[in-house]
Amino acid sequence: MSKHRLGELEEIVLLTVAILHGEAYGIAIVNEMEERLSRRISIGALQIVLRRLEKKGYLISEFGEATKVRGGKRKRYFTVTNFGKQTLKDTKDQRLSLWNAIPNISFGN
Amino acid sequence: MKNTNHTSPPTWPLRFFRWFCHPAFVEDIEGDLHERFALLVEEMGLRKARFRFVIEVLLLFRPGLIKSLSIFPELIHPGMLKHNLLITYRGFLKHKMTFFINLVGLSTGLAGVLLIYLWVHDERSVDRFHEKDSQLYQVMINHEDERGIQTWDSSPLPLTKALIEEFPEVESGTFINNSFLPEGKITQGENAIEASRIFANEQFFDVFSYDLIQGDKDQVLAGKDNMVISEELALKLFDSTHDIIGKTIEWSHPYYEKFNGEFQVSGVFETPPANATEQFDAVVHYGLMVENDPPSTRWTSTPVKNYLVLQEGTNIERFNDKFADFLSAKHEAWETSTQFVQQYSKRYLYGTYENGVQAGGRIEYVKLFSIIALFILLIACINFMNLSTAQASRKMKEIGVKKTMGATKSALVLQFLSESMLMVTLSFIVAASLISLILPQFNLITDKELKWGLALSPFLAIAGILLLTGLVAGSYPAFYLSRFKPVAVLKGERSISSGEYWVRRGLVVFQFAISVVFIVGMLVLDQQMQYTQTKNMGYNRDNVISFQRPRHNDDLEVFLSELRNLPGVTNASNMEGNILSGWSDDNGFYLKGQESDNKWGFMSPQIGYDMIETLGMQIMEGRSFSRTHKDDRSKIIISRSAQKMMQLADPIGQVITNGLTDYEIIGVVEDFHYGSLHKEKKPLFFRFHIWSLNTMVKIAPGVEQATIAKVEELYKEFHPETAFTFTFLDEDNQRLYEAESRVATLSKYFGSLAIIISCLGLFGLVAFTAERRSKEIGIRKILGSSVWGVIKLLSTDFTRMVILAILLALPISYLITKRWLDNFAYKIELEWWLFGSAALVTLLIAWSVVGLQTLKTARLNPVECLRDE
Repeated sequence: MSKHRLGELEEIVLLTVAILHGEAYGIAIVNEMEERLSRRISIGALQIVLRRLEKKGYLISEFGEATKVRGGKRKRYFTVTNFGKQTLKDTKDQRLSLWNAIPNISFGN
Repeated sequence: MKNTNHTSPPTWPLRFFRWFCHPAFVEDIEGDLHERFALLVEEMGLRKARFRFVIEVLLLFRPGLIKSLSIFPELIHPGMLKHNLLITYRGFLKHKMTFFINLVGLSTGLAGVLLIYLWVHDERSVDRFHEKDSQLYQVMINHEDERGIQTWDSSPLPLTKALIEEFPEVESGTFINNSFLPEGKITQGENAIEASRIFANEQFFDVFSYDLIQGDKDQVLAGKDNMVISEELALKLFDSTHDIIGKTIEWSHPYYEKFNGEFQVSGVFETPPANATEQFDAVVHYGLMVENDPPSTRWTSTPVKNYLVLQEGTNIERFNDKFADFLSAKHEAWETSTQFVQQYSKRYLYGTYENGVQAGGRIEYVKLFSIIALFILLIACINFMNLSTAQASRKMKEIGVKKTMGATKSALVLQFLSESMLMVTLSFIVAASLISLILPQFNLITDKELKWGLALSPFLAIAGILLLTGLVAGSYPAFYLSRFKPVAVLKGERSISSGEYWVRRGLVVFQFAISVVFIVGMLVLDQQMQYTQTKNMGYNRDNVISFQRPRHNDDLEVFLSELRNLPGVTNASNMEGNILSGWSDDNGFYLKGQESDNKWGFMSPQIGYDMIETLGMQIMEGRSFSRTHKDDRSKIIISRSAQKMMQLADPIGQVITNGLTDYEIIGVVEDFHYGSLHKEKKPLFFRFHIWSLNTMVKIAPGVEQATIAKVEELYKEFHPETAFTFTFLDEDNQRLYEAESRVATLSKYFGSLAIIISCLGLFGLVAFTAERRSKEIGIRKILGSSVWGVIKLLSTDFTRMVILAILLALPISYLITKRWLDNFAYKIELEWWLFGSAALVTLLIAWSVVGLQTLKTARLNPVECLRDE
């Protein structure tokens, strides 16, 4: 099907950006991931994934407003592109098809 | 989100982040960082948050987020570095001569500079080790009388205490005895050791940082029978510094009985380092000194040196203004005096006062040698630059090809800089081994204990010097060579631009000018030193020994007459102080019965019978002190200039007085130099003083050793308890000019170094020119030019340069040497031949260097150089 494959962290980040829907910037993503998955990642780890995803075309970004708490620096909001959405769906479909193919016997009940 | 903007993240990690992060990402990530930090502070407190923040920043340092390396891509490429090294190495192999000249020039230059650096560093470190260095000041007094203003470093004993009470700026203070105390014997059980000691008050160890190994610094000098001893002394006496507190030691000196006695060890301090001016083995409470010399506590005497610790940030000028009349308020004797403070650590380098004003001191030699070091380094660097630019033609093809292949200018600059750095590093290794060879000798000359250690500050400075040398020596060739246009270079079109031609010649001229200055300096210093040793002082100092008797009992005349009767002894006498020190003086004299406002001052050495004869001075009129006339203190002998000053046509029998004592003139003696040649000859009279301890013995030439042995025997008879130590008067005379003769010796070494390095450079340049012009020379020879003609052709240019250098250098060296000679009241004339011979020597050396090389070229068979094309 698709030759585009997402890494595990990439997938989670992409999903989180989708969840935040228009409110996804660096720290918001970190916080959301922490809340939902109890998984804390460093800004560095996140940023590198975000840039990679943007480079591959799954995400686009634009500058937003500046706030005091950010030392007067603007936020960069990320949104999932259609291509990103498509890839997410593909990934989900792949997973589902795999899940569906598991014979009942494997899970023991 | 809560507003937490009062806690901003630490700045330096942020700055680091901004530096490494790709410009496109900086803004939003930094915002994230701020936000994250604010959150972290709420969660875990400021301290932990800061720590986390640093980690966050470090985790951002990833290839995807940092700047691209496009600025220096080719420079850090290991392959390129390896290539540069290889090329350099091959270059060294191919041009062995140039390599050798560079190595010798740079390494000797570096060695000279580093030696001077070690010396300067050591000079500057003297007395700076005290913790309170910046606050530590010594009280000085400017005392004015008829002779002008004299500056004393000693002051009254109660001063420190009074100052602490009356001046809020004075935090604390201490004092130590000013007068000289001879070494005494410290006995403990079987051990007896000669040791020196000082008297100080209780705060001594608090003010100065002679750290205590044993004992509490507020307690060690609590009582008069306490003695704090140095670690070295403790080890000698007890073999240990532990468990010796409270032990009893005995101090004894055969003639200072009043200070003898038993003391309890109350503490042990670290032995004063070599770079401390005060060197002592033991410290005793000043109470002992006061007990034996009660007048020392008066405001009018100056038995101690006072040291003050001023509050940090005290304005010294304002303090000195307030302090100036402090003593005159205490006692009327100080009416014509003012006081001031000088930073203690500055005393060593800035110790000379003239008429109450600071007038340099050792700092002048520190400056002088720093300048010499700089020039030597410069000369060595010039060599390197000149040879490298001269060799440009050999490298032009390489540069052309490299540039055609796409090498950038910066890559070429790097190549040449790394080449010069490598050269410098190699030279440094050679220089380091040279220094370890020379250092013992150098220490001997400079009277220092310099070590080739790797103390941090010299190490950093050396690294700095290296880097600087590499950059200076390498920069010109680097930037110059990398500028060539490849096409022109490869076509062979590049001719020597006139600019380059002039720069190279200018550098040679500069080099030689410095060398000439050095040579003139060397000659003048040497001449002046010889002058000080050979000048007729007005008395004969040959074969005169002087020694100090510990005391006279009633045996003075017996001792002197037995001395005179020794075979080999021509004459013997005694005097107060030394004829060479020239300190004694007296003022306020007028002819008896003719008092006027215009009073005379004289130098006034005090001598016993026969001194004038012993020193071979000439009596012009009247007579010398004599036993037959039973002369006493009321008689004086004046010098001829004193006679002139007083305008006495017939001085014998005249009486002068200072209002208290009358002195009758019994003779006139020819002028002589009392003291060193630094001082002006002043009007002088001899006073008679029979009880002086300093004894001078004139010995017949040829039998010195045997006679001195006999004198020693006699001395032992009279003074079995003390050792016989004597000095030759002419050696004492040499010692007066120790500082200058040290400079003279050093200047010889460094001057030769400068000229050697310059000649090496010249040699390299000539060799190069000869090689470049070998074809031209071949053709000339075929067309009938003689060997002489070729030599003239090659050397005219260099001769012109050297002559220009000499013309430039002579006036400069005249000014410099004249200034130095102004230190002496009696000095050599700066005659033309001094400069003439310096010029001639330079020219001859340069010619021999040039001639050797040109002769070699001129004698080449023209076939040799024309064969290959």
